[in-house]
Amino acid sequence: MSGVGLEVGTLKVTMDEIAADLARDFAGDLEDVRIQEPDTIVARLAREKLKDVARRLKAHEDLAYETLNFVAAVDLGAQLESVYHVYSWRTNTWIELHVPVPRAKAEVDTVTDVWPAADWHEREAWDMMGIRYLGHPDLRRILLKDDFVGHPLRKDYVDLAENHPHV
Amino acid sequence: MSDFFLTAEAEPDEAVKLALRRIDEAQAAGQGSDVEGLRLNEVVVNMGPQHPSTHGVLRLVVTLDGELIKDVIPVVGYLHRCKEKLAEKRTYFQYIPILDRTEYVAGMNCEWAYVMTVEKLTGIRPTRRAEFIRVIVGELSRIASHLVAVGTFTADLAPLGTAMAFYTFRDRELILDLLEEVSGGRMMYNYLRFGGVRYDLPSGWVEQCRDVMKRMPKLIDEYASLVDDNAIFLQRTVGKGVISQQDVVDYGITGPNARASGVELDLRRTRPYSVYPELDFEVCTAQHGDVFDRYRVRMDEMRQSVRIIEQCLDMLPRGPVQSGSLRAPYVVTPPPGSCYVGQENPRGEYGTYIVSDGSRYPYRLKYRDPCFCNLQLFPKLLRGNKIADAVSISGSMDLVLGGIDR
Repeated sequence: MSGVGLEVGTLKVTMDEIAADLARDFAGDLEDVRIQEPDTIVARLAREKLKDVARRLKAHEDLAYETLNFVAAVDLGAQLESVYHVYSWRTNTWIELHVPVPRAKAEVDTVTDVWPAADWHEREAWDMMGIRYLGHPDLRRILLKDDFVGHPLRKDYVDLAENHPHV
Repeated sequence: MSDFFLTAEAEPDEAVKLALRRIDEAQAAGQGSDVEGLRLNEVVVNMGPQHPSTHGVLRLVVTLDGELIKDVIPVVGYLHRCKEKLAEKRTYFQYIPILDRTEYVAGMNCEWAYVMTVEKLTGIRPTRRAEFIRVIVGELSRIASHLVAVGTFTADLAPLGTAMAFYTFRDRELILDLLEEVSGGRMMYNYLRFGGVRYDLPSGWVEQCRDVMKRMPKLIDEYASLVDDNAIFLQRTVGKGVISQQDVVDYGITGPNARASGVELDLRRTRPYSVYPELDFEVCTAQHGDVFDRYRVRMDEMRQSVRIIEQCLDMLPRGPVQSGSLRAPYVVTPPPGSCYVGQENPRGEYGTYIVSDGSRYPYRLKYRDPCFCNLQLFPKLLRGNKIADAVSISGSMDLVLGGIDR
């Protein structure tokens, strides 16, 4: 296995150093970078920059955020949010990327080509929250049935009679 | 009626359509069957959702060429119970019992992950005695869960019929009895509280637990002696369904499935929580990442869990099992914010991501379930194997559909 940091935490760095590295290499991309104790960096990111930044985070020579842990979709009322939780084997730390998605046009680029693990998580976010991941290879519903109407985890979701044909 | 009965004009669902479309695409690209214009050998077969070897309601849409698996499309969601939506209408405290029902084979660990997240959001610290009790019940739960995993897995392979499953399920009751005595429930515990646990250990429980732990290693050796040298078992497991380290990185595989590939990823060590840093135990790994190694890692982990429990019983301090006032665990209002805490569940990293708006109800709760992530690798793992190996590989992944479907 070449190029895969499979020993956990081979690079000993403090969270402050990681935050400084990110501020230097991703100036203008990552906003509001802050440390969530003990081992997570939280940052905000514009959706246009997501794919490019994801690639660079994965390829970063020191930090190497290689494994996507999960994608969570959150309804913040005024807008939606797609949250990516990514693990760096080399530093044994996590980064949490918050990507705002407007309600009216809930679309964001897929990251399945960067982190293959995103596949099902993005399908789930589409299923539950109605965020369309552009370029996803197979964006079908995953937990709900194929002909379900609406996205139930949105706060304005109203339960529809056609979703309960047997009641 | 037509919703319940399959009629001649019934449409195939999206997953089957996708499987058929992929066959057509492969054929158009010249990679299909050897006779032009014919789907010669390729058959689309539904395995599950009621197949006994899928351990729940997993459905696999399998494209077969004779006995060879060409493609697999897992279909999940048959056990979906809207657990994330339910969180919106329940207080943090009221939501604890629902955690037992997500991944019902290791309910205690699931509760633990949720309770740790809320504790981190609110800043509540559990008492020291409670931490030790949590580790003990968590590791007991891990042994019980691995016994189910190993027992059902060998039953699927059938060199011994269901013999081993009977033994493991018999001995799992020893542990479930202990957990029942401590919490009141056999599998649905509702035991952990924010800042502690519900009840202190009943009198005589520690000796009883010590007694079971003394018997456990011998029992584990007994299971191992049943299958470890069995020629049929070895033929069906060694070298089958290999997960490479690259797969672990790409797909976020965690737990025994990752450790069987030689990756020392164990959140009890790499992101230590509770009192694990004070305990002496080994992270069990294996080298090849095949079906047999995944089985062996689980067997080794049970022995390590016994070690952990014995240490905790020795070190168990006196004191209260609940921090703060009596009322404290019932009324919890975390400040606005969000946080994720992962925990080493028997199947891998299990965690909850909670967004709080400062009210008594979670604004958004999202699960990170290890089986959901591990199952993603399935199509890649099964392609090129025989259909019979699909059963052994899925058994070795130790899937619990309650966790996947939530």
